[in-house]
Amino acid sequence: MKMKYFRIAVLSFAVLSASVLWAEAETSLNASAPDGIRPGGTLADETKAPDIPETVTPIKKPMRNYPDQPPTIPHSVEGYQVDRNYNQCLSCHSRARSPDTGAPMVSITHYLDRDHQALAAVSPRRYFCVQCHVPQHAVEPVTSSNFQGIEKVLEESLNREVNQSENHNNGMKAAE
Amino acid sequence: MTISRREFAKANAAAVAAISIGLPVPASASNLITNRDLTTLKWDKAPCRFCGVGCGVMVATKDNQVVATHGDVKAEVNRGINCVKGYFLSKIMYGSDRLTTPMLRMSNGQYDKQGDFTPISWDQAFDIMADKFKEAIRETGPESVAMLGSGQWTVFEAYAGSKFMKGGLRSNNLDPNARHCMASAVGGFMRTFGIDEPMGCYDDIEHADAFVLWGSNMAEMHPMLWSRVTDRRLSFDHVEVVAMSPYQTRSFDLADLRIVFKPQTDLIILNYIANYIIENDKVNHDFVKKHTRFARGQDDIGYGLRPEDPRQVNAKGADKAGASTEITFEEFAEFVKPYTLERTAKETGVAEERLERLARIYADPNKKVMSLWTMGFNQHTRGVWANNMAYNLHLLTGKISEPGNSPFSLTGQPSACGSAREVGTFSHRLPADMVVTNPEHRAKTEKIWKLPEGTIPDKNGFHAVLQSRKLKDGVIRVYWTQACNNIQAGPNLKQETLPGWRNPKTFVIVSDVYPTTSAQAADLILPSAMWVEKEGAFGNAERRTQMWHQLVSAPGEARSDLWQVVEFSKRLNVDDIWPEELLAKAPEFRGKNLYQVLFTNGNVDQFPLSETAKDQLNDEAKAFGFYLQKGLFEEYAQFGRGHGHDLAPFERYHQERGLRWPVVDGKETRWRFREGYDPYVEKGSGVQFYGHADKRAVIFALPYEPPAESPDDAYPFWLSTGRVLEHWHTGSMTQRVPELHAAVPYALVYMNYDDATELGFRRGSEIKVISRRGEIRARVETRGRVKPPKGLVFVPFFDANRLINKVTLDATDPISFQTDFKKCAVKLELVSLA
Amino acid sequence: MLKFLKEYWRVFNRPSAYIGLGTLSLGGFLAGIIFWGGFNTAMEFTNTEAFCIGCHEMKDNPYREITSTIHYTNRSGVRAICSDCHVPHKWTDKIARKMQASKEVWGKVFGTINTRDKFLEKRRHLAEREWRRLKANDSLECRNCHDFEFMDFTAQSPRAKAMHSTELAGGDKTCIDCHKGIAHDLPDMEGVPIGSAYPGREVDPEPGWHSAGQAVNTDLPLEPWQLFLAEKFQVALKP
Repeated sequence: MKMKYFRIAVLSFAVLSASVLWAEAETSLNASAPDGIRPGGTLADETKAPDIPETVTPIKKPMRNYPDQPPTIPHSVEGYQVDRNYNQCLSCHSRARSPDTGAPMVSITHYLDRDHQALAAVSPRRYFCVQCHVPQHAVEPVTSSNFQGIEKVLEESLNREVNQSENHNNGMKAAE
Repeated sequence: MTISRREFAKANAAAVAAISIGLPVPASASNLITNRDLTTLKWDKAPCRFCGVGCGVMVATKDNQVVATHGDVKAEVNRGINCVKGYFLSKIMYGSDRLTTPMLRMSNGQYDKQGDFTPISWDQAFDIMADKFKEAIRETGPESVAMLGSGQWTVFEAYAGSKFMKGGLRSNNLDPNARHCMASAVGGFMRTFGIDEPMGCYDDIEHADAFVLWGSNMAEMHPMLWSRVTDRRLSFDHVEVVAMSPYQTRSFDLADLRIVFKPQTDLIILNYIANYIIENDKVNHDFVKKHTRFARGQDDIGYGLRPEDPRQVNAKGADKAGASTEITFEEFAEFVKPYTLERTAKETGVAEERLERLARIYADPNKKVMSLWTMGFNQHTRGVWANNMAYNLHLLTGKISEPGNSPFSLTGQPSACGSAREVGTFSHRLPADMVVTNPEHRAKTEKIWKLPEGTIPDKNGFHAVLQSRKLKDGVIRVYWTQACNNIQAGPNLKQETLPGWRNPKTFVIVSDVYPTTSAQAADLILPSAMWVEKEGAFGNAERRTQMWHQLVSAPGEARSDLWQVVEFSKRLNVDDIWPEELLAKAPEFRGKNLYQVLFTNGNVDQFPLSETAKDQLNDEAKAFGFYLQKGLFEEYAQFGRGHGHDLAPFERYHQERGLRWPVVDGKETRWRFREGYDPYVEKGSGVQFYGHADKRAVIFALPYEPPAESPDDAYPFWLSTGRVLEHWHTGSMTQRVPELHAAVPYALVYMNYDDATELGFRRGSEIKVISRRGEIRARVETRGRVKPPKGLVFVPFFDANRLINKVTLDATDPISFQTDFKKCAVKLELVSLA
Repeated sequence: MLKFLKEYWRVFNRPSAYIGLGTLSLGGFLAGIIFWGGFNTAMEFTNTEAFCIGCHEMKDNPYREITSTIHYTNRSGVRAICSDCHVPHKWTDKIARKMQASKEVWGKVFGTINTRDKFLEKRRHLAEREWRRLKANDSLECRNCHDFEFMDFTAQSPRAKAMHSTELAGGDKTCIDCHKGIAHDLPDMEGVPIGSAYPGREVDPEPGWHSAGQAVNTDLPLEPWQLFLAEKFQVALKP
């Protein structure tokens, strides 16, 4: 009888210490760290998965980061068929259709082949639109971006120039 | 009417300011800036930072910032276009959480494995690193230190890392993350041809009549090559595209022939086609007799698991996985005979008509075939076999090494070829396809490196997966990773990688640009410079070496991986880390540090600062006082010149849009092994596979063997992992571009609609994906770009918040030690319906 | 044998001697109702989704394709089943469609499309038949649910509003002219006019890029039997 209690005690102690050890191991795996895309100190955890967000249809088309950037798609393309058989994007964006649909015509660059010669139709090398143009979903950026568009860089450059020349003039005055 | 420069600047400044805050522009100011001084952008070439395609981009800089990027019209690879990732390159360096200072886990001012990250100086960082490295080597030998490098390292970084580890620390425990990516391809090349990397090049695309995608989803993973394939297919009606995969992908959108096969049964299809070619008398006997020989490979070779795993214990051929014995053509024919059409259809689940149509493409002597593959073959427990077996088909028909006839192994990282394979940063390799176990190769390397004989250890080091196991076992005590994110990308995170990194016995250093999951698991974080913040060179999948200049400065205290390795080498004195018998052989090294021994050796430091480009930055050259990159490159080039890996002189790469090696007499080589294209092929021989001494390629008889883990009653689904177009690998760069993040915000569980319905899930339901090793929570997608058949789910690995590698199995190909990230068994459980 | 038949005919033709005329008429009437009800019930059964996807040709091809579209799954769960779009609601039209469908049974028996490849090969032909039918009946099955009269243009996107309030309202276009491929994958669209491209105008080259510039007819000709049925059962036929 006593033996049995002893066993239970030993067993429960083992379980208890195992769970303490386990908890410690988990804490160690989740050692503190700076937040990245994943919050710091959560590597061993599983967090709730965010909902699948909706596609954004902005009222105003977003400004491009620089002229060379392919515009993002300002509408949903869910279920659009773009395959060998059919390119649904071009049913609105092609040269012939764009006046009726009001959708922007594909850029003239899209008519150029590999050797930069214009073809009679959109070049097949540009056939799969979503290689470059992507729809946007209603999510916050994971981190903010310090990227500065050329306008901002130019502005700072000009400000610097103005300040420098003012300083220079002031300096000249002071010297006088 | 003159306007002073100052007034002009003022007026324009007002205009710009107004534009940027969205106000109407004052009438007095011109709203279009036209002054050439202001609007001129500095444009320079660079290869893209992402995949192995190696697209050329033009980078615009202004005031030490990247302000725009676009496809380089002069770049042969992509001729002016980029994929969406490439177009957003400008923004990858500007995430607000860039790491700008070294950080150490500390408590009370001291290093503490359980402490919090605290900013420290580079001096402090190198101090503790030196202590840890010296202590580990002193106490447990050079085997207890290891480094995980990268196919994203520049060639210079990889070469410096290789010298540092193999020549300096005398440890072969250096492996690139390319182990997860290209090792099986390397194994395939070395076994079949005796020399690494494709014989053909991207020009094959414009010459091929048929494209066969073996598991590859080029439409998402190699978009600009896919654009070339699409161009070829849609421009010419006779061209065919075959898409093969265990699940339907975007590449199927272009396909004429679609084949969805059961996981692992690609091996059966490969042997069936070989059998078809033989039975229908389509063998190019002349070619086969002259240029090939046959071998039977060892079978039952296990799964690269820990040795005590029953699947390892029971594998009879596990200890001689790479072995083979010579056989005849007739024996080969007999070997593939059982792979009949009926059997193949039954075991693969593919309709007979489709299989036959595929076989006919290879068998037709008038059809030029390009076979393309990447991770479907390479991340495969029989990955080397699959590579060998694909070459079999091209060798049996002689469809190889000529325009359009091309078995082509694609790569996943920008310099998997250049930095991992050519430089030889694998744990068994040295530059130019040499290996550490060959005494002649070691001797040659030691000679070029000016090191005493016996410096480089003669045993293979720990490969990437083994490194994780050895960390967990406490064998590796100091671990340095650069330009990779192995916590997220390595297999079996929960049981192997993470416990290894967090093992109290280990000290883990992570050089990275952002707080990645790896940085979060590290003990010391070193802030790195990235892409055009340093001068670099990448080597892409078609043997093209491309260089770029440093165009902007790295933020804060961030330094390139190259600077980190070279500068840190100053902290290690050979007297502390080399044994006496080695020092006795080179008494001149006594008292010297590794910087002096490895980098100011008369080779690396031979080019003065004055040779650096006048109008470009070069922080590393400035820091060390000589043209470090050129010195490293020219020393490295000694390995390959005259040995089939010739590189052009350094300067030429800054002028050209890359050159495909071997570059002999100033000319690049497009098709190797073929007379008229390859200067290494002797006149009159037509074709020579000169990688092997007998100048023959090997056709391997290899069977089908099952994967390491297949679905069963308890875990009824296949799990396959991979990438999506918008994100590159672990997403540390692309997820920080707001547009790319908004395009594909989260990793989802792509699954079959019927499976979802039967389990009571809907699109958007939150579920658990559970394996015997770990689990993740994610949302169900039944209408996604990946369309799995019943019984299979696909989860991409880019999302740091959904670490799917908690679930994957660390089974590897036993020859290449590359993990099979494409196959393991999981069960799915509902968390919430919506 | 002949003798037996003759005897049988005689009995069958003889006026009733034992059953009253009323009983006979009533019985006939009831039998008629039962028969009629049974016929319609049976026909209704052939309209269910379970019936349609009872054969794998339908389940693995058109049905699998619709499952990812808005006509199958959407916010409110209102959905269309096969017969909603492919079988007319009006009885006469329905019978006509069912007669056509007997050809599909024939196809089933002889395995005309018993593989995916065969289906893909025939897809253009099959699609054209449906486009032609819907064009001929002014997209009747679409309009059974999507009634032009009750469209709230303010709730439509600017582009949809522009199209619907002009070309659809004016009768120049019918639903199927623009909304092809909304429920199933499209076949190779080479030469098929897209949206409101009108006859005689050079067709937009891009969608069928490999025949760049090739002009095609907008209206596909109706087959004679379709004209016959349309006339017989007064199905709306657009010129």
